[in-house]
Amino acid sequence: MTVVTLNNLTRRFDNVIAVNNLNLEVNDGELVAFLGPSGCGKTTTLRMITGLLLPSDGDVLFDGVSILTVPTEKRGAVMVFQKHLLFPTMSVAQNVGFGLKMQGLPQKEINMRVSEMLELIRLPGFETRRPHELSGGQQQRIALARALIVRPKVLLLDEPLANLDANLRLEMRELIRSLQHELEITSIFVTHDQEEAVMLADRIALMFDGELQQFAEPNAFYERPSTAQVANFFRNANLLKGKRVGNQVETALGTLTIDTDRVVQPDGEVLLTVRPEEINLIPDSAENIIYGEVLTQVYMGTYSQMQLEVDGNQWLVHGPANFDAQVGNKIPLQLPEPRIWLLPLERKLK
Amino acid sequence: MRWLRLVEKLRVPMMLFPSIAILVVLFGGGLLVGVGQSFGYFPVIGLDDFTFAYYGDILTDRGFFASLWLTFRIALISTFLSSVLAVACALVLRDKFRGSRFMTFVFQIAIPIPHLVAAAGIVLLVGQSGMLSRLMVALGLTQTPGDFPPIVYDRAGIAIILTFLWKEVPFIGIVVLAVLQGIGPQYEEIAQTLGANGWQRFRYVLLPLIMPGLLSTSIIVFAFVFANYEIPFLLGVKYPQTLPVMAFENYKDPDLALRPQAMAVSVVLAVIAIVLLVAYKQLAKYAIKT
Amino acid sequence: MPKSVRWFALIVIVLAVFGPMIPQLMWSFATRWFFPNLLPPQWSLESWEYIITPSSRVAEGFMNSLKIAIIVSLLSILVGLPASRALALHNFKGKAVIEWLLMVPIIVPGIVSTMGIHLVFIRLGLTNTFLGVSLVHLIPCIPYMVLVMSSVFANYGTELEDTARTLGANPLQVFWHVTLPGILPGLMVATMFTFLISWGQYVTTLLIGGGTIITLPMVLFPFLQGINFSAAAAISLVFVAPAILVLVLTSRQLGEESSVMGGFGRL
Repeated sequence: MTVVTLNNLTRRFDNVIAVNNLNLEVNDGELVAFLGPSGCGKTTTLRMITGLLLPSDGDVLFDGVSILTVPTEKRGAVMVFQKHLLFPTMSVAQNVGFGLKMQGLPQKEINMRVSEMLELIRLPGFETRRPHELSGGQQQRIALARALIVRPKVLLLDEPLANLDANLRLEMRELIRSLQHELEITSIFVTHDQEEAVMLADRIALMFDGELQQFAEPNAFYERPSTAQVANFFRNANLLKGKRVGNQVETALGTLTIDTDRVVQPDGEVLLTVRPEEINLIPDSAENIIYGEVLTQVYMGTYSQMQLEVDGNQWLVHGPANFDAQVGNKIPLQLPEPRIWLLPLERKLK
Repeated sequence: MRWLRLVEKLRVPMMLFPSIAILVVLFGGGLLVGVGQSFGYFPVIGLDDFTFAYYGDILTDRGFFASLWLTFRIALISTFLSSVLAVACALVLRDKFRGSRFMTFVFQIAIPIPHLVAAAGIVLLVGQSGMLSRLMVALGLTQTPGDFPPIVYDRAGIAIILTFLWKEVPFIGIVVLAVLQGIGPQYEEIAQTLGANGWQRFRYVLLPLIMPGLLSTSIIVFAFVFANYEIPFLLGVKYPQTLPVMAFENYKDPDLALRPQAMAVSVVLAVIAIVLLVAYKQLAKYAIKT
Repeated sequence: MPKSVRWFALIVIVLAVFGPMIPQLMWSFATRWFFPNLLPPQWSLESWEYIITPSSRVAEGFMNSLKIAIIVSLLSILVGLPASRALALHNFKGKAVIEWLLMVPIIVPGIVSTMGIHLVFIRLGLTNTFLGVSLVHLIPCIPYMVLVMSSVFANYGTELEDTARTLGANPLQVFWHVTLPGILPGLMVATMFTFLISWGQYVTTLLIGGGTIITLPMVLFPFLQGINFSAAAAISLVFVAPAILVLVLTSRQLGEESSVMGGFGRL
């Protein structure tokens, strides 16, 4: 039952800024993903929340109270690491009961709560097993149980699914999701896998180079990315330079109409984008059509993916599985008015 | 094909044979001859009757038990203190700080230095006319060598223990350090987020992890100290002597008739050492589990 | 760890390490340094001059010690490497017994067997010979070689060697180009141990060498019983020099996270 607030959180290592002026609030019982490529500062942020790392600047608040001076072991911010999961010298029961033992609870109560916890993670009767006898997925679940048993204020998961194979990932994802909902623990997990973040999180905080790019519900990253870089991270690189004037965008390939209720970018130089799956290859009118040259076509089973050149930019477009685009041809692309999104123009792009 | 299979089959025995053979023939053979002699089989001086007499002699000798107690006490104290200090040093040196590499090197310096040299250094440092005693005079705290506590050639064997500490702390420490660096900080971090304080992290997380290395090295140290001759000979008193000194002095005696007794003393020494070490290992195993 | 605690600990370590060494260094250059002078009233090279005279037998002892330590180390490698490899990479019946057997000389006090060996060697005519002394030094050396190297081999695995074999290297080439470079850091540490164990032996050399094979500990020992601190200190320094050199060559492997010292955890 904890609201986690990060205020201007900053961490420098020597002269490298790992986390820069991070501001966000995680609501009570919410599951938030810190998403970004490796080295973007997400794990550093997690470690600052646990107290394993001191911020260079800024503050961490639990329920509005700064906890920077509270030592890690008293914070109730429990971390689950991606590897070195279980204490190799202890049995499963000793691992799960570790936090309670540290609190000095009587062994009888510890045993009881450990058994309950093992039921909950669907590994009943595993008390006397040793860590090295368990599979990767079981180890991960025990690690989760060990964290949950102390009823943490905040649960922090560092790439919890990174070391698991595809099937286990799915299973673990379900388990984390259901446990988190059931126990209503404010949780933050770190991942570099956007799919994982989208499926698991209530909200996603996307970070690049130590800076927060966008903090929003998962669908926003598809429909309303804040920058071209964010769009790109979510596998949308379809960009076209233009100039917005009212409900129109003037581009080198013609003037396009936009939905002014949806677009937030003001008049002026902009980047126009439409997701690959939302482009019409078979136009139903003469509205909003631009032409692109087909570079490659790949059959993907349920659809067909084309790479096109559009005004010097590489675009991806998904079409019907049986669509036949001749490589080298210029084909019409209809950009549906309600699907067009405008991004700020960044200097780097041509 | 059959030839290849034979080679395959013989490979491991061939790899093991030379070292096993050397140890079995030399160590085992020597042991056998030694044990035989302790039971009175010593044809060179005309003895070939099996007898417990030599064991009887030493086990009824009060001096023997004084020696045994001294030997045991020195070995126990040396091993215990070296282990504790080694773990402390390893904990200090595991962190990365400016000059940590250099400090680790300094810490290792005593490892290659022969025990004899270490003993000489200890005498020159803490002997009654050693450096520390002179320093006390310079500071006006004492006047004569006699004012300085007799650490060397004392009945408690303090200088002997100091020599072993100086030598064995880095040995155990470097093994513990290697283990600590292999472990990394993550187990402690997990424990900390789960609410373990500094002492709890050491007691419940680190100690069980370093225990195997600590156990093995402390066994090596105990066995070594328990059977060492030169250090207690050089830095100890004439009575009581440690068992190895007693055994070796008897052995070196021109009177060959003393040899079976020397052998009996060393056999008892070896048996006690083995019993103690097995007990220690079992005890430690039990302690880790609970 | 608080900085002040670390500083205190580091200072204690430095004092403890150098405490017994500095008086020796000073004594070796001192003469008539009586109590209670904190510093020698005059510096002198007397004891250094003494130990380079042939009658002091320091040079002879040094060469003999070196010769024996090198022979023992080479023999340890020769018989220890294959055994370590077998233990690290093969499973076979009775492995536990073999492992235990190879460690026995570290655990069981060697004094009984040394005295026993003495009697056997007298029969075999091996007393008072280099070979006899080297063989008896070999006993405590083999376990250390095996302890360190089996851990190193286990850690190194066979994948790289197998790759080299499939690429057309014969066993000798594999050993020379792949295995040896891979295990070299560990082998250096193991060899350091065997060298130093042999280098420091006193009782075994005294018994088996019978006063004929004079090594440095033989030369030093009488001085430690006597009162000539200056000569004892000078000989000690000569005795220490190669040992420190060996440490300088191997300290990186010793102090670092590696499988090299990890072997001691599996005794």
